[in-house]
Amino acid sequence: MIAENTQTQMRKGILEYCVLLIISRGEIYASDIIAELKSARLLVVEGTLYPLLTRLKNNGLLSYNWVESTSGPPRKYYMLTADGKAILEQLDMTWQELSYAITTSKNK
Amino acid sequence: MKKTLHINIGNSITLIEEDAYEMLTVYLNEVKFHFAKSVDNFEIVTDIENRIAELFGEMLAVQQKKVISIEDVQEVIRQMGSVQDFELSDDEPAEMYSEGPQPTVKKLYRDTDHAMIAGVCVGLSHFLDIDARWVRLIAFATIFLGGSGILAYIVLWIMIPKAATKSEKLFMRGEEANLRGFANSYLQPFVKESRGFIAEAFHVLGTFIQGTGKVIFKIVSGFIIAMSAFGLVFLMVALVALLGVSDSDVVNQFPFSIVNDEYFTALTIGAFLAGAIPLLALLLFSVRVAFTDRGVNKTLSFVLLIIWLAGMGITIFHVAKISSEFKENAEFAQTAMIRPYQNFTLEIDKTRFFTKEDSVKYHIDTNNYKGKKILYSQYGGFDEQDNVRLSIEKSNDQTVSVYQNYSSQGSTFEDALKNAQNIHYRFVQQDSLLTFSPVLRLIHQAKWRHQEVRLTLKVPVGTTFYINRDINRYLNNYNIWDCHHDDRSDYVEMIMTADGLKCKHEREENKEQ
Repeated sequence: MIAENTQTQMRKGILEYCVLLIISRGEIYASDIIAELKSARLLVVEGTLYPLLTRLKNNGLLSYNWVESTSGPPRKYYMLTADGKAILEQLDMTWQELSYAITTSKNK
Repeated sequence: MKKTLHINIGNSITLIEEDAYEMLTVYLNEVKFHFAKSVDNFEIVTDIENRIAELFGEMLAVQQKKVISIEDVQEVIRQMGSVQDFELSDDEPAEMYSEGPQPTVKKLYRDTDHAMIAGVCVGLSHFLDIDARWVRLIAFATIFLGGSGILAYIVLWIMIPKAATKSEKLFMRGEEANLRGFANSYLQPFVKESRGFIAEAFHVLGTFIQGTGKVIFKIVSGFIIAMSAFGLVFLMVALVALLGVSDSDVVNQFPFSIVNDEYFTALTIGAFLAGAIPLLALLLFSVRVAFTDRGVNKTLSFVLLIIWLAGMGITIFHVAKISSEFKENAEFAQTAMIRPYQNFTLEIDKTRFFTKEDSVKYHIDTNNYKGKKILYSQYGGFDEQDNVRLSIEKSNDQTVSVYQNYSSQGSTFEDALKNAQNIHYRFVQQDSLLTFSPVLRLIHQAKWRHQEVRLTLKVPVGTTFYINRDINRYLNNYNIWDCHHDDRSDYVEMIMTADGLKCKHEREENKEQ
């Protein structure tokens, strides 16, 4: 139970970081984010992504454009805002710190 | 074979099998419920619905089919993840769901879904757990306390938030914010779009006018209900009265005297049903439409229709049967010789013929009325048919006679003749005074079959009449109002000439010229 909880917490933080990383490479559609996360073996189900995207958007990290689609309704294409980029940089630093922490902890 | 439904998901129309639709509905409701506590619930759920629509589109294209099946929905749910999966990766620890059932707490919100104006009163009624109409009544009453109610309303409107999300609505009602509470209301619109206060005020103004329309509609419905209820009560009283008194005097009065005794009960009940069922239906319909949201019960309508048709059937059958008794006509005549006089006075007998039942009906103590006469009013009521007619003609010899013609209708000639024979009519001669009865009576319990008495008084030329003015309405071939007569006198003086009856004074004037 404790292990599960810790796993969930770790996944959550990293998922958010990865989503920002994927979006930082350019405008992207939610389904493509999902596909990438799946290939990265990070996301289990799609439903969890939407609340995350909405929350990031409401916190001012993301914005989106409506883009017409050839098949079906218009799609939301997400991109990073200036705030989002700043925060991603912070997260990058944090990740390096964490990575160092783990490598150090394991190898000593 | 399976039933399919058209659904609009993510703004695209999709054909879906019924069982698949049910599964999808349950899933989406769980999803909606899961995100209900979130402020962005609408956006998240819309995103998820759009994605599901997209997945459906891909599935239909790949599998080259037209309808979404239950397997497709299962696949979509597997891909999107169940609510349990969402909980594992929720942004915030899911205290609301994981820490046991939430105690039922009520919060004060405005209920804009059931609002008359802005939902303040109905919101208060949820919070205080009393019927909204009482709160509204009190609120309305406070308007008359110097208008303080209006001010208080506007302040409360601005202060109290409106229940926007699903769980807010559940909290407003004090229902548990769980799936059960959710299931009770999952068909309601998920969330209303939010407006600013000014926009809301204008919107409310529009709906309030609609609301006033509803109130007027309800008042009209209430009026219809009251009228039909009154009509029903009237018909019931009439039914009981008619069935209760069927062997007393009322059946001998027009129009009940038309109906044969053996048909009386059946026809009364039939006519009652034919009249009462539409009233009852109107009553039920108005109540249902105006004061409940339910439609009119089909079974009930059907039963009412059957009863009404039965009532109409009975009525039409008997009316037709009775009508058939008017088919044939028969008449017979007799002539009575009268002692001749030079002058005749014609009177109408205005004393009323009283039966024993009448004296009970009018509370007449015969001892009290010794020597007094009860008079017919000059213009009688409903029961006075125009069935006695009098003509005055010139006789060819010196005799004076009254030719009496009795006629009646009946189902056959014999029947008609028998009905005519049941006419009892009399006139009396006292020296030169001839008194005619204004009505005929039917004897032997005979039914009214358009019985008529036509009297012809034949007198020789030169006979003078003093005709009571009341006779005029029974007189066939003359109108005594044509004579310039003395208004102070009840009698008009006329004389029989070779050219017929003439006014006496006109004749004298002619002579003078």
